[in-house]
Parts: sequence; structure tokens; C-alpha cells
Amino acid sequence: MILQSLWEGLEASAVGTYIASSDWAFPTIETLHVIALVTVVGSIAIMDLRLLGVTSRNAQVTQISNDTLPLTWVAFGIAAITGSLLFVSKATGYVKNPYFLAKMVCLGLAGANMGYFHLTTWRTVHNWDGTMTIPRAGKIAAGLSLAFWFGVIFFGRLIGFTLGIYQ
Amino acid sequence: MSVGDLLYEFTEYLRTTSLPEQALALQASAPSTYLATHFWAIPIMQVIHIIAIAAAFGSVLMINLRILGWTGKGRTMTWTVRRYLPWTWWALLFLTITGIGMIIAEPPRELVNPVLWIKLGLVVALILVSIAFQQSVIRPNLAQWEVTHDGRVAVRFAAVGITLLWCAIMVAGRWIAYAPV
Repeated sequence: MILQSLWEGLEASAVGTYIASSDWAFPTIETLHVIALVTVVGSIAIMDLRLLGVTSRNAQVTQISNDTLPLTWVAFGIAAITGSLLFVSKATGYVKNPYFLAKMVCLGLAGANMGYFHLTTWRTVHNWDGTMTIPRAGKIAAGLSLAFWFGVIFFGRLIGFTLGIYQ
Repeated sequence: MSVGDLLYEFTEYLRTTSLPEQALALQASAPSTYLATHFWAIPIMQVIHIIAIAAAFGSVLMINLRILGWTGKGRTMTWTVRRYLPWTWWALLFLTITGIGMIIAEPPRELVNPVLWIKLGLVVALILVSIAFQQSVIRPNLAQWEVTHDGRVAVRFAAVGITLLWCAIMVAGRWIAYAPV
């Protein structure tokens, strides 16, 4: 109940009502969200595919990580800001939408997977940095990362089909 | 004249062509009926389209940011081009297939839509510019890039321009859905 009033409050806020009522604001923010999201997923996939041994095989894992991570974080920041703005404009509808909730679950799992990988497998990276013998845990983390981020894209796209259903 | 007015004029023009008729004929065809009556067909094509954009745009950024000297500086230009360039062209294959699929699934919404034609024009421009850039700038200069990190100023402008062209195509792609048809 407290949460429900929070969602209603966000939706009724100046930012929320502006985005919801403007002709251009929602599509424009959504477009920025898409550009940021493909950058996040594209850069993360480069790292995941290296861990899986599919690409960049002749480069060190830490090099690929250094090359892609700054891009990933900048793009993720833009995706989070634009995503929050989209959410605020229709907060009460989004929290009822199962596809939105599934997207948030995938996002949480992607984050947890990355966190676990960095706290465990990544600690030994210097033992296998320039090699193709990636620990099994690292390959599993990379596969899960791709799956969760594809899930974010899949459920995110379905939100667009169901905005009118869950209001 | 506002952008909206221009798009409206463009739509009016498209309506005077044979496109609406052809779109309706395509809509009556078996493949179109199949895609339109299977609920998951359109979202699945869209998701594959977006994943292909992620693969291509991620690769394009890695090359262009390397040219600008912002990231990947430890990798040679030869390595960067060999690693990332093929992904952009493979992605184009998937983008073309799913793109055609989406047009077949909803012909009037796509073919009588000014934003679709603007997007396709930008795509053709991007392909031509990219081929020219790869053939006449990147490949002949690979050896020189191995000794200096940053490209010449004109090359850097081209890298920025190609990245912006990609963004413009993604903007148009998203706005196909918002153009009143």
C-alpha cells in the first residue's frame, strides 16, 4: 500500500505528467534508452564471448575487460536514467506489468551474476588471463550473462506490446 | 514547416504511389498472413533485430573509439579491425532478414510509412560510407596506425560521423512505430 502510493506519487509528479502528456518526450527518451541498451548488451557480449572462447581469443581477458567496461558503464548509466524517466511516466502500469517485472528480474540476475563472478572467479584471472583455459565458473557466468541480457531485451520489447493492457 | 508537416507531406506523397496497393497485396499473401496470425512472430523478429544491432553497434563503437583513441589503445588497429569488423557485416545479414520479415508481417504500417523510407535511405548511405571508409581509409592506413594511436583528424571526424549515422538509423527505427500512417 505504501508502495502503491509511491508509484502514484511518482506518476503524478511534474516529471511524470510531463513525459506522459508530451507528444515527443516518451518516444525520444525511449529512443535514447534503446541506443544505450544496445551499447550495454553489445559491449557486455564482447566480454562474455571472450570468456566463452568464441572471439578475441588472442587477446588477454583483462584487456578485453578494460576495453569494454568503461563503455558498458557509461551506457548503463544512460539506460538507467532514461529507463527511470520512462518508468515514472507510467509507474502504476509498469508495476502491474508481468513483462516489466520479468525484465527487472533479469536485470537483477545479470547484476548478481556479474557481482558473484567478480568476487570469486575474477580473483584468479592472472592465472588464466592470456590463455584459453577459462575456469568452468567463468564460462558459466558468461553464458548466464548473455542469457539474462537477452532476457532484458526480450521482456523489454514485450512491455511495448502490453502497455495498454496493464494500466 | 515543422518536421511533422514534412513527414505528413511525405506520407501524402507515398499514398499517391502504387505502394498502398502493393502493401495490401503483400498483406494478403500467405507469408504475411502467417506472420500476422502468429502472435510471437513479430516480437521474436524484433528481439533478434535488436540483438543484431547490439552486436553491430557494439563492434562499430569498439572500432571508432579505437580510432578516436578512447579505448582499446593496447590493441593494434589491425587487431581491432579484424576482431570487430566482420561482426558488423554478419549482423547486417540478420538485420536484413528480420527487417524484411517485419515488413512482410505488417506491410501497410511499414511501406506507407515515411520514417521507414528515411531509415532505409540512411541505411544505404551508411553501407556506402562504411565500405568507402574501410576500403580507402582504414585498410591502406593500418600499418601507420600500429605506431601512432590516434588517426588523422579527418579520419576521426569520419569515425564520429559513422557513429552518429548509426544513431540516426536507430532513431528512425524506433520512430517507425510513432509515425501516423
